[in-house]
Amino acid sequence: MILTGSEIEKEIKKSNITITPFNKNQVNPNSYNYRIDSRIIDFSKNKIKKIKIPKTGFVLKPHQIYLANTYEILGSDKYAMSLIGRSSLGRLGLFLQVSANLGHTGSKHSWTLELVSAKPLRIYPYMIIGQISFWNNKGRIIHYKRSYSKYNKPKQSKIRRLR
Amino acid sequence: MILTGEEIKKQVKKGNIIIKPFNRKNITTNSYDLTLGEDYLVYTDKILDPAKENKYKIRKIPKNGLLLKKGDFILGHSKDIIGSKKFVPLIHAKSGIARLGLFVHITADIIDIGSIGNTTFQLYATRDIRLYSGMLIGQVSFWVPKGKIILYNGKYQNSLGPKASQIHKDFKEKMKFIS
Repeated sequence: MILTGSEIEKEIKKSNITITPFNKNQVNPNSYNYRIDSRIIDFSKNKIKKIKIPKTGFVLKPHQIYLANTYEILGSDKYAMSLIGRSSLGRLGLFLQVSANLGHTGSKHSWTLELVSAKPLRIYPYMIIGQISFWNNKGRIIHYKRSYSKYNKPKQSKIRRLR
Repeated sequence: MILTGEEIKKQVKKGNIIIKPFNRKNITTNSYDLTLGEDYLVYTDKILDPAKENKYKIRKIPKNGLLLKKGDFILGHSKDIIGSKKFVPLIHAKSGIARLGLFVHITADIIDIGSIGNTTFQLYATRDIRLYSGMLIGQVSFWVPKGKIILYNGKYQNSLGPKASQIHKDFKEKMKFIS
């Protein structure tokens, strides 16, 4: 089952869901709108280039991946999460997360965002950029406490080549 | 919980799910297949900007199909009017379409509960592909929500045809929190 917006609010009060800072205006009928932070990573040339997004915006080059992170700390010890884009930006061609939208129960942090734009697109610091939904679990929960869950800044992949 | 095809049929009859026109043949095991409508939308601005209105043109898919080139991005729409005041719809490509390298939505698969209209497809081609009006292109599944339902009443309600992003309408308002 997917939580409705009013149920998300309830579960925040009960501390079963963490959204910090929380803004009531960002609650949707069945999700919560999150913001992008003010930094972005460009690693297209096999080098990590950290960019501070200016107030006047930063234009994403098409068909290229960038990393960023959510402004909010998002997570839950009770629910599984799906962190995706939003229709208003999907309609402008912005992919948020590259097919790995699942957030494990127990992870609670500022999430790394994977951005790919189909067209040149201007983005602004702290703009609302995507939505997160919360889903009921069935079965015993063993909390996620591994690798990426401790990161609050955009974190590049830790996958190493298999030998 | 996700509804089965049989349950979708039942809930359409009860009026809890809206699918118009409804065609029994488009029911699958866990979803309903969506048909590509005739109109499509192309943005004409070079750089898209959520802070302002982005110009676009609406065109019709020709009878002999529309060739999308690798990397092209357009907005299409479902011929069907869909929505629900009781369940949460999720949009997916048909696997047969995805296997040809076409995205039918751009990471926003969730439809707000209470949102009713033609769904806008965000079509992005990873290789050249020809699209035809009337083809089955996507599918919608329905999920049971938990909690009090507050129905969607937003910028895209009752959409017909492909609907451009309306993000500029309240962009400044939503940025106020930070300054």
